[in-house]
Amino acid sequence: MRRLLIAFVAGLTWTAIAHAQGPRAEPPPSGLPGPPPSVPTGSATPDLVVDLSRARVSITSAFQGESILMFGMFDPPGEVVVVVVGPEARETVMRKERFLGLWLNTGRQSFDDVPAYYAIAASQPLQRLLARGAGGEILSLEDRMSTVTPVGSRVAAELAKFRAGLVEVKRREGLYPAAIGQVTVQAGRLFRVDLPFPSRLPEGVYEVKAYLLREGKIVAAVSRPLPVGKVGFSAQLAGWASHDGALYGLGAVFMALFAGWLGGAIMRRL
Amino acid sequence: MEIYLPIAEQSMNVFVLLGLGAAAGLLAGMFGVGGGFLATPLLIFVGIPPAVAVASQANQVVANSVSSLQVHWRRGNVDFRMGLVLLLGGMIGSSAGVALFTYLKRIGQIDFVIAVLYVVMLSAIGLLMLAESLSTYVKRRRNPGAPRGKLHTHYLVHRLPLKLRFYKSKLYISALLPVGLGFVIGILSAILGVGGGFVLVPAMIYLLGMPTAVVIGTSNFQILFVAANVTFLQATTNGTVDVVLALLLILGGVVGAPIGSRLAAKLPGVVLRGLMSVLILAVAAELLIELLRTPSSPFSLGPREVNP
Repeated sequence: MRRLLIAFVAGLTWTAIAHAQGPRAEPPPSGLPGPPPSVPTGSATPDLVVDLSRARVSITSAFQGESILMFGMFDPPGEVVVVVVGPEARETVMRKERFLGLWLNTGRQSFDDVPAYYAIAASQPLQRLLARGAGGEILSLEDRMSTVTPVGSRVAAELAKFRAGLVEVKRREGLYPAAIGQVTVQAGRLFRVDLPFPSRLPEGVYEVKAYLLREGKIVAAVSRPLPVGKVGFSAQLAGWASHDGALYGLGAVFMALFAGWLGGAIMRRL
Repeated sequence: MEIYLPIAEQSMNVFVLLGLGAAAGLLAGMFGVGGGFLATPLLIFVGIPPAVAVASQANQVVANSVSSLQVHWRRGNVDFRMGLVLLLGGMIGSSAGVALFTYLKRIGQIDFVIAVLYVVMLSAIGLLMLAESLSTYVKRRRNPGAPRGKLHTHYLVHRLPLKLRFYKSKLYISALLPVGLGFVIGILSAILGVGGGFVLVPAMIYLLGMPTAVVIGTSNFQILFVAANVTFLQATTNGTVDVVLALLLILGGVVGAPIGSRLAAKLPGVVLRGLMSVLILAVAAELLIELLRTPSSPFSLGPREVNP
């Protein structure tokens, strides 16, 4: 009897540890589409060919953030710009103020169409490239954030503060990486860039876009979807918790009842 | 070794969480109260969002109270009648507490309220314990053989209506009192993720006048069902119960609890309570400093709404 109980606890521990170790080869969740082959949009002969080192960002039990490599080839001359945009949603920024000596949230402002993630990199200083005319389609973070629409009305100066606050928090969480490093070019036609993703990463289908610019004009653009999602054990639990909270709650209670009973039973016998 | 917590949506070191569970279990073993009131602030310190810390801690309390209830049940130290009356208040209180929690979360004040309530509660308990252990220590040194005084009076309890007989506790008191007590503990349990034993146990002894032998078992009976109710309601309304986090805390607690009870047998109670009160006050001070200090940034993000 005692052996049986000990084996049981060992099993529980093993399950927890096994899930913490390394990403397992799980099939992708059916909701997320796989990436299609990279077909350049715009020209018949591919001036720009790209690929990603991974087809998706899988949030497993061992996920600690991930860096994905985008690499490709272009027809020189030209410059490469890479933009990564996360899914858009409504975000609420809260502002703390001192009240009776204590800091608490006193103001809040929501914005619509805020990208969960935004990063931009180029093979030349970005301002110089964008100043030459591509700015209409390729937006720097500042330009992109000026397009998010505030919910409700507020004085413009206050709105600007909340907007800046939103960028600041996103930066801090690594979701708007300030500089993801330059796109490095080798042999005049091969390029690569690392895309960093933090551990607290919102789920959804991200878009990775590469542009080829010549004299300030976009001559080729390639877009690749990058699905970001929980996979395996994490996905099952999170899905369960959000779709059927009652069943998940019952499961949590019974897990604790069983674990507590078992723990108590073992400790009395030791 | 890092593990990704699916509901907290962040990765965290497994051993930090196991260690926290063990520390809570140690306290539970030493003092016979759940360690939730220290584990939740510590979870917040290591970076778990307060709403997730509270809800997952309530899940851990279920496991904790089951294992101690087993012992007291077997020894016949549970006053079921009193337990059920307490539970009546506890269920109403915890349901109201989760509704209040949900409201505070929606208006963006839940983190602040959790921190303030913890500061108030931990300072009060810490100071009371410190004063009690210091005075006991001084008294014992002066006259070691002194008998203990009478611990309670029954005036208030005897005047209220709806009197009930509690045979096991040898009491004939108004049911309103335990219902009210259960209600308050239920609210605390929902908002702070604690079982509430550290408030419930002294209240049962001093306020209700219950015999000490049945207090722990009966309080565990009430805490078990209230914590289960909180876990269930938090999961359905707020989706903040992280079972991976809870399981790690429980596993740590299973290891910590027997070490705690062995330590308690070796060290004198006065010294234990003194150490404990210093620990509680340190946590309260840290939480207070966080509230008073100018934050590095006044901005934070509320929940993302994918389909507004």
